[in-house]
Amino acid sequence: MKGAVSIRGAVKVYDPERSQVVALDGLDLDIAPGEFCAVVGPSGCGKTTLLNAIAGFDTLTSGSITLDGQTIAEPDRSAPPGADRIVVFQNGALFPWRSVLWNVTCGPVMQKRMGRAEATERASALLARVGMQGSDDKYPGELSGGQRRRVEIVRALMNDPSVLLLDEPFRALDALTKSVMQEYLTELLVEVPKTVFFITHDLEEAIFLGDKVVALTSRPGRIRQVVPVSLEKPRRHTVLTSPEFLAIKATLSGAIHEEARRAFVYGERELA
Amino acid sequence: MALDVLQAAPTAAETKKGLGVRQLFNRHFNLLIGTMSVGGTLLLWQYARALGIPGLAFVDPPTAIIAASADLLQSATFWTACYKRFIRISIGFVLAQLIGIPLGLLMAANRFAFNTVFPITEILRPVPPVAWIPIAIIFWPTREMSTIFIVFLGAFWIVLLNTIGGASTIDPAYRRAALSLGSSRWHLFRYIIFPATLPSIVTGMVVGMGICWEMVVAAEMIAGDTGLGYLLWQSFEINATAQVIVCMIAIGIAGFASSALISRLARLLTPWIAER
Repeated sequence: MKGAVSIRGAVKVYDPERSQVVALDGLDLDIAPGEFCAVVGPSGCGKTTLLNAIAGFDTLTSGSITLDGQTIAEPDRSAPPGADRIVVFQNGALFPWRSVLWNVTCGPVMQKRMGRAEATERASALLARVGMQGSDDKYPGELSGGQRRRVEIVRALMNDPSVLLLDEPFRALDALTKSVMQEYLTELLVEVPKTVFFITHDLEEAIFLGDKVVALTSRPGRIRQVVPVSLEKPRRHTVLTSPEFLAIKATLSGAIHEEARRAFVYGERELA
Repeated sequence: MALDVLQAAPTAAETKKGLGVRQLFNRHFNLLIGTMSVGGTLLLWQYARALGIPGLAFVDPPTAIIAASADLLQSATFWTACYKRFIRISIGFVLAQLIGIPLGLLMAANRFAFNTVFPITEILRPVPPVAWIPIAIIFWPTREMSTIFIVFLGAFWIVLLNTIGGASTIDPAYRRAALSLGSSRWHLFRYIIFPATLPSIVTGMVVGMGICWEMVVAAEMIAGDTGLGYLLWQSFEINATAQVIVCMIAIGIAGFASSALISRLARLLTPWIAER
């Protein structure tokens, strides 16, 4: 299986000439193929900066990132964004002017990896897997928030990426929808195993989904703590009250809270 | 508050009978009000002279207008004028789209193109199209072309500005998503930039069409030798007030029809935008 991500000494300084905001300060992280890596940390700690560097939307000031041995980011140079590193954005980026089916199939069709018929067949199977059958011809604007997230995750998986980059995909959802979405994501990943880089503010979500949880420090972003989660998969929501889960939560929450306080003192927005 | 509660709770029998009439009334209320307002205005106008209303008193009453319109509607002059008007608006408007939309997209996509064209447009744009009439007459070999040019200018600036505005405020997440989905530059334009700009283009069309209607009247009055604007001005010069008013009403109706057509077109072009 592909999808080994290796981050070495990642540093990102915004506006190096004047204000010199250090977003990342020498961050090392390895994600094994097929591993679900959940990243938590206060706002402004550089989570999204790191994701953008992997995705090819932004460059690093120093350090490097490799994907399956290929260098995808080195100082001031990034491999252009591509289908091997698909991003699901915080606020969603389904194309509102096209149908659900078009949105989901456009990736493989534009890359000429599949014909339209083959892509449609594959898309229908995945959409049905997340309870979205019969919505093919709808516009994204006609769907609920939770439905849109499901479609967007299916769109990402259709491209068979080496790594799936999820930037707080469930942030805007209510708590109940969120828990349903987490189970859908778990099920999809059983079907289509992928390396996942998952950003969140929600510690419970991170532990529930992750194979490991990475806690970052408040700005500048460094690794504060890495906690492996060995709970059996696929997980159900009943696990949230199990002693093992609570023990992991206890290990992390002190550190997370402390970083959030520091971030707050720095004038950052508080932990959402 | 208390009154609302009392009114909201009628007995069952009352509800059944009362709601029927009330519903009927509510449904047609707007129509009723509309009819009454138009009818009232016509009545006031008819008896303006007797009532001594300033301004209106010097204009022929509606009955005279109806008589005059009967004559005018049978004359070939009127229908030729309408036809000419239709042709001028269509050509001017379509030309404005054909040039304005691609130029706007190019300017939004390419900094060099923007820096080259923008200073020129910024200086020329504030000049009202009416002020262009003398130059338009000198520029173009025929009066017809001058008129079309003025109509074109009316729609052009607004189409151009709306296209630039729409294309340069696209959510960057769409671009990024498209790039990571493997879009080529052409895909990006065809599937992202163009459709994302369409709603602004459509707004430009709606507003532009309105300005076209203003411009064509002005252009026809001065530069034209046929057309509704020309007919209107001629009628005034020979003191046929009733005919002037018929022309005004014809312009009003045609303008209304064209906005209805444009909003139909807008719905066709941007079907993903829910009707409001």
